[in-house]
Amino acid sequence: MKFLPYILKHLRRNWVRTLSTVLGMALCVFLIAVLQTVLVAMDASVRGASPDRLATRHAVSLVFNMPYAYRSRISAVPGVRRVSPTNFFGGLPGSGGSADFANFFANFAVEADTYFAMYPEYNLPRDQWDAFRADRRGAVIGRALSRKFGWNLGDTFQLESFIPPYRVGRPFEFVVRAIYDADLVRYPATNEMQMFFHFDYLYESTRRRAGVGTFMVQIDDPARTAEIARLIDEAFENSDVQTKTETEGAFIQSFNELAGNLVLLLNAIGLAVGFTVLLVTANTMSMAVRERRTEIAVLKTLGFSSARVMGLIIGEAMVIAAAAGALGIGLANGLVSNLADIPFLGAAVSQFPSLNVSPRLALGMFAVSLALGTAAGAVPAWTAYRAKIVDTLRAA
Amino acid sequence: MGAVVIDNVRKVYRRDAEEILVLDGLSLDVPDGEFVALMGPSGSGKTTLLNLIAGIDRPTSGRVVVGGVEVSALSEGALAAWRSRNVGFIFQFYNLIPVLTAVENVELPLLLTALSRRERRERAMTALRVVGLADRSKHYPRQLSGGQEQRVAIARAIVADPAVLVADEPTGDLDARSAEEILNLIQALNADFGKTIVMVTHDPRASARAHVERHLEKGVLNRSVVRHEVPAVHS
Repeated sequence: MKFLPYILKHLRRNWVRTLSTVLGMALCVFLIAVLQTVLVAMDASVRGASPDRLATRHAVSLVFNMPYAYRSRISAVPGVRRVSPTNFFGGLPGSGGSADFANFFANFAVEADTYFAMYPEYNLPRDQWDAFRADRRGAVIGRALSRKFGWNLGDTFQLESFIPPYRVGRPFEFVVRAIYDADLVRYPATNEMQMFFHFDYLYESTRRRAGVGTFMVQIDDPARTAEIARLIDEAFENSDVQTKTETEGAFIQSFNELAGNLVLLLNAIGLAVGFTVLLVTANTMSMAVRERRTEIAVLKTLGFSSARVMGLIIGEAMVIAAAAGALGIGLANGLVSNLADIPFLGAAVSQFPSLNVSPRLALGMFAVSLALGTAAGAVPAWTAYRAKIVDTLRAA
Repeated sequence: MGAVVIDNVRKVYRRDAEEILVLDGLSLDVPDGEFVALMGPSGSGKTTLLNLIAGIDRPTSGRVVVGGVEVSALSEGALAAWRSRNVGFIFQFYNLIPVLTAVENVELPLLLTALSRRERRERAMTALRVVGLADRSKHYPRQLSGGQEQRVAIARAIVADPAVLVADEPTGDLDARSAEEILNLIQALNADFGKTIVMVTHDPRASARAHVERHLEKGVLNRSVVRHEVPAVHS
C-alpha cells in the first residue's frame, strides 16, 4: 500500500490519457455487464420453467396457429394431466392506429381453469378469481403492471392486437377482475408485468378463426417428458398441421431465440469489445512506460528490484482497471435499474422480471476488469522488468 | 581491505559480432573515507568503472568488492537490495522523478525499508536539511534550479545512509556557481559524514576537491595524483 501514492501520482501525470483509458475500459465493462445481465435474465426465465410442463406448437413456426380440436387429442395422450390453449395476443394499449408500442406488455388469452391450475407461480385471492371466472371480459393482471398503469380492480382498458388474425376491427375491452402476486421466493423468474384473459373471449370474437397458438400441457411424470412429447407429435404426424412439443424451458428458449442466437451474438460482441479494449489499453500502458524508461532505470539504481518495478507497472494497470470496473458496473447498474422507464426498451425487457446487475455478476465483471488491466499491463511490465539499467541510462 | 576493491576487472561490451574492450584487467583499492576522482578522456571506461562499483553493471571477469561484499557475485535481486542500503548514486542530469516533490523524491529509496511513513518523512527532511533545501521540500523538480535539483538528488543518494557514494559528473550540467556549491556539499559529505566517494569528472576544479585523482585511458589506470591526505579519522 505504501507504493499506492506513488502509483497515483504517476497516473495523474498525464491525466487526460489516464482518464480516457479509464473511460474506454469502463465503457467495455459497462457494455459486457449489460449484455451479460440480459443473458442472465434470459437464462433465469428458462431455468424458471417447470419440468412437468410441455408446450405444443405448430411444427413450422410459432407464428402459425393450430386447430382448437387438437386440445382433446392431446388430452387423450397417456400421461397428460391437463391441456390449456394459450394464445399470445400481442395487444397494445391504444386503438385506431395509435397503438402504443412503447407501453407494450405481454398479454395472453388462456383457458382460465386449466392454465392457472398448472401455474402455481401466480397467487390470486379467491374472490378475485371467482370474479374473473364470472366475467367474459375479465382480465388478470400482474402487480407490477397494475402499478405501472394505475389499473385497479374494476377498471376497464382496451387493447388492440398487432397480430392480423386477432384484429377484429375494434379494440378488445377488458375489466380488471384480479391482480396476481408472484411467489418470487419459490419462483424468482415469475413476471408480474403480464395480463391474462379468457381464451373464449378471443375465440368467439374472432368467430372461432383464431385457432390456438400454444397448448400448454401438464404431465404426470417429468421423467417421461421426452416420451410424452414424442407421443403428442406422433398423434399429428399425418395431419395438415404437424406439431412440435418441447419442455416449457426449451419453448421459452426458442421464443427468446426468435431474435436469433442472442447468446452467441451478445457473447461475441462482449468478446470483441473486450479484446479491442485490451489492445488499446496495452498500447497506452506501453506508451506510458516507454516515456518513463529513464525513471525505471533510476528506480532500479536506487535499489528497486526488477520484480518490484514490474509490480508498480502492473499496479498502475490495476488501479486503472479497478476504477474502470467500478465505473462500468455503476453505469450498467444505473442503466439496468432504469431500463423499465425507457420507452420501447423498457417494454422489450419487461418479460425479464429478474433483470438486474446481480452482486455475482458485478463481482465477476470487476474481476474481468482487473484481468483486462493485468493483461494490458503485462507486456510493458515485462519490458520494464527486463530493462538493463546501464543500457537504459545510456539510451536516455 | 578498502571500502572499494576492484580486482583485475575486465569489461567487454558486445555490439553484434564486435567486442569492445572497455576495462582491461583494472585493479583499484579505495580506502574507507577516501574521496577519489576518476578522470580521463571520453570512452576511457570511467563511467563503466563507476557503474561496476555502484552494482548496476557486472564485470566480464574479475571481482568487485564494496564494503566487504563481492557485489559481482550477487544475484539480481540481492544486488538490488544491496544497492538500496550500501550505495548512493548521483547522476549528471539529477534524474529526479518529475511527478514527486523534493521530499517525495528523497523518500523514494526508503520505500524499500520497513520504516513507517512518519519515520521515512523525518529522514527525508533530515537529508534535505543536510543539503540545505528543507524549505523547498514541497517543490516539484520543475520548480527548482539545476543546482537545487542536484542537491535534492544528493539528498536522495544519502537518505539511506550508504557508506559509498558514486557520482557521475555531478557538476557536468551546472553553471560555475552551482557546481561550486555541489562540490562543497560533496566534499562536506566526505569530510563531515565520512562517506567514501568515487566521482567521475572531466572538470579539474572538481577533481581538485578529491583526495586522489585516478586517470584512466583505454580501460587502464595509468596515473594517480594525491591531492590531499585522507584524514586519519576516516581511514
